[in-house]
Amino acid sequence: MTFLQEKRAIGIAFIAAVLIAFVPSFATSYTVSMVMLLLLFYTLAQSWDWVGGELGYVNLSHYASYGIGAYVFAIAYTNGAHFLVALALASLVTSVIIALISIPLFRLQGEYFAFATLALLPLFDILASNLKSLTNGTEGIILPAEQVTGIAFLLMVGLAFLTFVTTTLIVHSPFGLVVRSIRDDEEAAESIGVRVLPRKIMVISAAIAATAGGIHGWYLSFIDPGTMFGLDVALVPIAMALLGGSALLWGPIVGVIVLVFLNQWLLAYFSILHAAFYGLIILLVGRYLPGGLLRSSLVRRIKFVSLLAKEHHERSSVSGNIVEGLDLTPPASGEQDVALECRSVSKNFGGNAALSDVSLTVRRGEIVGLIGANGSGKTTLFNCISRIYDVSSGEVLVDGQPITGLRKDEVAHAGIGRTYQIPRSFERMTVRENVTTALLGRSDPPRFEDALNEAARFVCYVGLGHHLDDSVSTLSAQKRKSLELARALATSPKILLIDEVASGLTPTEIDQFVAHIRELRDRYGLTIIWVEHIFSALAQVVDRVVVLEQGKVIANGTLDVVLTDEAVQRSYFGAKAAETEPC
Amino acid sequence: MAYLPDFGILAQLLINGILLGGLYALIAFGLSVIYGVAGILNFAHGTILAMISIAAAILFESLRLPLAVILLVLTPAGFVFGWVFHKVLLSPLQAREPHQRTIGTVLVTVGALIIIGDVTAVLAGAEQRVIRLSSTFFEIGSVIVSGTQIGILVAVSVSMIALHLFLVMSWTGSSIRAVAQNRIGAALCGADASNTSAMTFAIGASIVAIAGVLYVISYPVNPYSGFPLTVKAFSIILLGGVGNLPGTLIAGLFLGVAEAFVAFYWAPQWAPAISIIIVLGGLLLFPGLARTRRAA
Repeated sequence: MTFLQEKRAIGIAFIAAVLIAFVPSFATSYTVSMVMLLLLFYTLAQSWDWVGGELGYVNLSHYASYGIGAYVFAIAYTNGAHFLVALALASLVTSVIIALISIPLFRLQGEYFAFATLALLPLFDILASNLKSLTNGTEGIILPAEQVTGIAFLLMVGLAFLTFVTTTLIVHSPFGLVVRSIRDDEEAAESIGVRVLPRKIMVISAAIAATAGGIHGWYLSFIDPGTMFGLDVALVPIAMALLGGSALLWGPIVGVIVLVFLNQWLLAYFSILHAAFYGLIILLVGRYLPGGLLRSSLVRRIKFVSLLAKEHHERSSVSGNIVEGLDLTPPASGEQDVALECRSVSKNFGGNAALSDVSLTVRRGEIVGLIGANGSGKTTLFNCISRIYDVSSGEVLVDGQPITGLRKDEVAHAGIGRTYQIPRSFERMTVRENVTTALLGRSDPPRFEDALNEAARFVCYVGLGHHLDDSVSTLSAQKRKSLELARALATSPKILLIDEVASGLTPTEIDQFVAHIRELRDRYGLTIIWVEHIFSALAQVVDRVVVLEQGKVIANGTLDVVLTDEAVQRSYFGAKAAETEPC
Repeated sequence: MAYLPDFGILAQLLINGILLGGLYALIAFGLSVIYGVAGILNFAHGTILAMISIAAAILFESLRLPLAVILLVLTPAGFVFGWVFHKVLLSPLQAREPHQRTIGTVLVTVGALIIIGDVTAVLAGAEQRVIRLSSTFFEIGSVIVSGTQIGILVAVSVSMIALHLFLVMSWTGSSIRAVAQNRIGAALCGADASNTSAMTFAIGASIVAIAGVLYVISYPVNPYSGFPLTVKAFSIILLGGVGNLPGTLIAGLFLGVAEAFVAFYWAPQWAPAISIIIVLGGLLLFPGLARTRRAA
């Protein structure tokens, strides 16, 4: 979707909001209450989707923010606050509570995160039921009977519109791209310099839900623990977002409309089992429609509806094959001679020492080959340098500064770029978006449009020009490795850690790759550590070879020296090589 | 008096806590085995327990069946339920990409939890049920222990030891542990990961069936009291470690005792909040707790 279309979507939403604002002046009170319900659930479902769909954290306690908001509003309002003050308080207090709770929560991922958030609902239920002096316990709070439906309705229209605009802004922005990279692989995103900010999004989403809770509580003029924190009601907005199509601009809207009307029909014809019915929808969506209605094959075949189901991907005018010049600044001549230093780095997994006392100094502009048998600790060393692992003891210094206490994104900003042996691309993004995210992760990120254009250069450099706007999931394993390199380069590293890129390449491709490595050093001044099993490739370009065996450095020197080393021949080339002449 | 702890009361609270904690540990172990092997965090775990507890109470009240018979009927029933549930609803999700698999299992088990609770309430009524056994009481000093309590404690211990031996000694047990450690490797050795997962889910469901019968002997259960138990079981495996039997047992006992003390010295209505507060506090103080999670 281009920016123009985003503007058009906001325009359509604005006209719709204005029209909806006039509904109370001509429609029946039943219609007004239905529209109110649609607006409320849209706001809740969509604000949930920022965290659940875009960021990929399944937050099952989103409804609790609505409940806390309603309670804060009710308590403030019954104590004489103006309704706008009470609403502001509702969103503020809820934001603070959620910000605090999210500190422990975001130490969890996947189902664990989902589970811990779900457990918050009974916690708030217990609090609301038992803090009687504040919440009036299970009896609930009755707000003064006033004619507020008109104002509350307008406020809800405004909030729903705000939610829609925020969504379009999140989706089409560098911020949105970064958020989606976290969804696809949080650790890889951090390693390319992305400052992870799940908490910020969760707080924004909570503030919106709390405001909705305040408005709706005022509108209902009664709240109690069951309607605010009940398990069966709490999951309804989530079911709506997922039923429609998570992370699609129109997905939550479709889900809300379908489920609200289905529920009205149900209320009219069935007296029991409403909760079971919702449970069944949730279960069936999980079992058969992982992507929601809009992504189902049936809907995709209907032309008009399929327009709503369009996945969002960033593009730009620049494409095709650009070969010349990468946006990389060679380091200034005044910089320190030692680029990277490992001082007695050890890493233990339980009782197993993966690295013991590894000391290594790499000078600026050097290309160092790191070899050793499988399991000798090569990748572990990379992981210790890029802070995927905490070192057990020892220190890593970049440009003389210790990086051992830094976050992963700070390590990237310090100048460490890396590839992964098993590629960790952002699966649901395009090749261009993958590289753009790395450009945006720089400490001085370019403008968004520039980043999208610039990404094309890096993509073409590694030979993926034909796949620029293809989804990563369509790439072969080898092409993903090339993408790894492009992404690592786009972070503008001073030191590049390459973890087995050549295995699987044809001889011609290997030569090309070796030429690239040489060019990266000669032209852009990069310092490179290269882990590789294809020794003939390594031998063409390295200044020095470091050999690891069982977590220890057993040799460190130029090719000739290391090759004739007896220990190396025994450990790496096999005992037989030790008997024959050195190559 | 309020300032000096009475040792009789302390001992009584400790024993009550251990009884409750033993049951928690058994429930948690069912959840833990399922999560460790099948990779499924079963949100409906406690709700299945509540359903079985209510079935047990009904069988006991209306048919006057002896407890042993009820156990003999409901444990296999739990097994079959678990097997079918996994085969029909969860197994097909394994083919999806990780993120969708997570969302899929969360939705399916959360959906099941709502359906089971609601349907049980409609069929059996929403009221509390409990099996009241007449029992002899033993007095040791000022501490009173009932024969039923001792019986439950023995049954919990026997179930956990039996499960441990099964996992360690039998071929099925070995294949379960193998799949827990490495799905593909286990498959190469002839342990069918899909069937093993279903088997584990079924075993987890039968453990929860045993726990359900034992639980309803001491504590009242209604169709909606299952979810708080799931939350507790989850807290316990987070503290004790996934698939770690001794860790689960210790964490379970700890939670049971903590709840007993909070209920007595503060107020009973705050006891259910303990587990989630322990989890949040634990994560805050020891970020390493989160490392017990499965790698994606």
